[in-house]
Amino acid sequence: MIKWLRSESFTAWAFMTPGLLLLAVFVFWPIIYSIPLALTDYSVISDTHYVGLDNFETAFKDRNFLISIWNSLVYVLIVPFLQIFSILMAVLVNSRIPGIKIFRTTYYIPVVTSMVAVALIWSWLLGNNSVVNYLLMQAGVISKDIHWLSDSSLALYVLMFITMWKGLGYYMMLYLAGLQNIPQDLYEAARVDGASRWRLIVHITLPLLRPYILFCTLISLMAAIRVFDEVYVLTKGGPGTATLTSSLYIFQKGMEQFNFGYASALGLIVGAVIAVLSIIVFRFNRKGGVNPY
Amino acid sequence: MNLQDDKMLQSALPKNEYSRIIRKLGRVVRMTVIYVLLVLLALFLMGPFLWLLSVSLMPGRNIFSSPPAIFPTFIDFDNYAQVWQFMNFPKYMLNTVIITALGVIFNVLLASLTGYPLAVFRFKGKNLVFTLLISTMIIPSYTSFIVHYLTIQGLHLGNTYLGVVLPGAVSVFNIFLMRQTFIHIPTDVRDSGKMDGASEFRIWWQLVLPLVKPALAVISLLEAMSFWNSFLWPIVILNDTELYPLAAALTYLNGQFAYNFGWIAAGTMISVLPIIILFLFTQRYYMEGLAGAVKG
Repeated sequence: MIKWLRSESFTAWAFMTPGLLLLAVFVFWPIIYSIPLALTDYSVISDTHYVGLDNFETAFKDRNFLISIWNSLVYVLIVPFLQIFSILMAVLVNSRIPGIKIFRTTYYIPVVTSMVAVALIWSWLLGNNSVVNYLLMQAGVISKDIHWLSDSSLALYVLMFITMWKGLGYYMMLYLAGLQNIPQDLYEAARVDGASRWRLIVHITLPLLRPYILFCTLISLMAAIRVFDEVYVLTKGGPGTATLTSSLYIFQKGMEQFNFGYASALGLIVGAVIAVLSIIVFRFNRKGGVNPY
Repeated sequence: MNLQDDKMLQSALPKNEYSRIIRKLGRVVRMTVIYVLLVLLALFLMGPFLWLLSVSLMPGRNIFSSPPAIFPTFIDFDNYAQVWQFMNFPKYMLNTVIITALGVIFNVLLASLTGYPLAVFRFKGKNLVFTLLISTMIIPSYTSFIVHYLTIQGLHLGNTYLGVVLPGAVSVFNIFLMRQTFIHIPTDVRDSGKMDGASEFRIWWQLVLPLVKPALAVISLLEAMSFWNSFLWPIVILNDTELYPLAAALTYLNGQFAYNFGWIAAGTMISVLPIIILFLFTQRYYMEGLAGAVKG
C-alpha cells in the first residue's frame, strides 16, 4: 500500500483526479444520461414516463425539426468558403512588410468580440434605412431597401455571412501558424529548380498545410452545425422557420418549453449527423498522416 | 580576359541596370497591391466596429437621420455617461471579471494538471484515459446543456458563479493542448528535479510550468474570450439579473432600450473594449503558443 502511494501510478492519478472528475460530470455524464433521457417524456411540469422510441418517431414527423436540420446543413456550406478565404488571408498576412502585425491584429478583433456585440452591430448595419442599404444604393448596386434579416429567402445567408465575417480571423491565424512552420529552404530549393509560383503553392504550401486544413475544416464544421448565438440574438429562428437551426430548435424544446426528453432525443439525432459528417471529412483527408493537435 | 569578353561585359552593364529598375518597379507594384488588399480587408473586418464607435459618440437624434449618419456631426460622450449611470456598469464589469477569472484559473490549472501525467508519466490506465478523452471528441454531446442544467440544480449551484463556471472549467481540447506541449519538455528537467529531492508536484509547479508559458497563454486567452463573451449559460443559470455578466446584461439592455441606439452602442463599446485590450497585450504570447500548439 505504502509502496503504491509512492508509485508513479498513484501520483499520475492524483494529478488527474480533479480534472477527470469534472470531465466525468460535465462531459461523460451528459453523453450517457441523454440516452435514457431521450426514452422518456421527462419535463419539469409533469410525471416522467418511459416512452420508448416515441420521441424519435415524433422527431422524424416533426416538420420544424426537419427544417432545422436542413437549415443546419445549408449552414455547413460556409465551411469551404471560410477555409479558402482564410487561407488566402493567411498567405496575404504572411508577407514580410512593414506594419503587417497591425493588420493581423485588426483582422482578429471580430474573433475576440462577443457574438452579442457582433450581432447588435450587424442588426443595425442591416436594418431598414440602414448604413449598408444606404451605401449600396449610393453605389448603385441596389435600387430600394433590402430587408436583409426579415426576408425569409435571405436571412439564413445573411447569418452565414456574419458567422463567416466573425470567424475569418481565427482560421487565418491558425493557417498563418501553419505557413510559418513550413521551412523556407523547401521553397528555395524548388525555386532553384525553376518551379513557378503556382507550382510552389500546389506542391509545397498546400500539402504541408494539410493537417491544418483538416483541423480547421473539422472545427468549423462542428461550429456551423452547432451555430447558436448569432441566430438566437439576431433572428430567433425567424422569419417563420427561415433561420431555425437545429441547436436553436433543441434549445427551444429543452430550455424554453422544458421538454427535456424530446430535446435529448433531438440532440442524439443531430449528434449522429455530426459524427457522420466528421467521418466524411476524415475520409477525404485520410492521406498524409494527419495529427490535428 | 580577352577583348571580346570585355565588350560583352560593357554592353551587359546598362542592360543589368535596366532589369534592376524593372525589378524594383515590379516590387513597388506588388507592395502597392498587397497594401491595397490589406486595407480593404481591414475596412471589411474593422468597419462595423468603427461605425459602432462613431454611433456611440453621436448625440441622440443624429443616429436616426435619413440618410443614415456614418460619422458624427460632433463628438460627445453623453451616451457613455448616461448608460454608465443607468446600467451600473462597474457591477456588471466586476461580475464578468469574476466569472472570467474563475473560468481561466480552473482551465489553466486543471488542463495542465491532467495533461502532465498523460505526457510524461508511465502508469497503468494511461491508454484507457486517453481513449476515453478522444471518444468524447468523436461522440459529440449535443444536449449537454440540458443535463448540465439538471446537474447544476442537483448540486444546488443554481444562481451562483460556480454554477456558471463549472461546466466549462475543464475541456478535453485544453488537456490535449497541454499534453502536446509537455511532451516536448526534455526529460532532464524532471530528472534533475528528482535528484534535488523535489516532489512531483513541485517539479510540475516550479520547473515545468514556467517552461510552457506560451501554451498557458493560449488557454488563458481563449478561455478569457469565451467566458467574457458568454451570455446564454449565465442567463440560464442566474435568476438574479444583478449577477449577470456584461454580454448577458447587454442582451437585456437591448431588449429594454432597443429605441435608444446611442446607449446600446456605448454599452457595447464598453463591453468589448476590455477584452480587445487584453488581446492586444497578450497577442505576442498567444500567437507563439498557437503555432506551437497546432504544430504538436
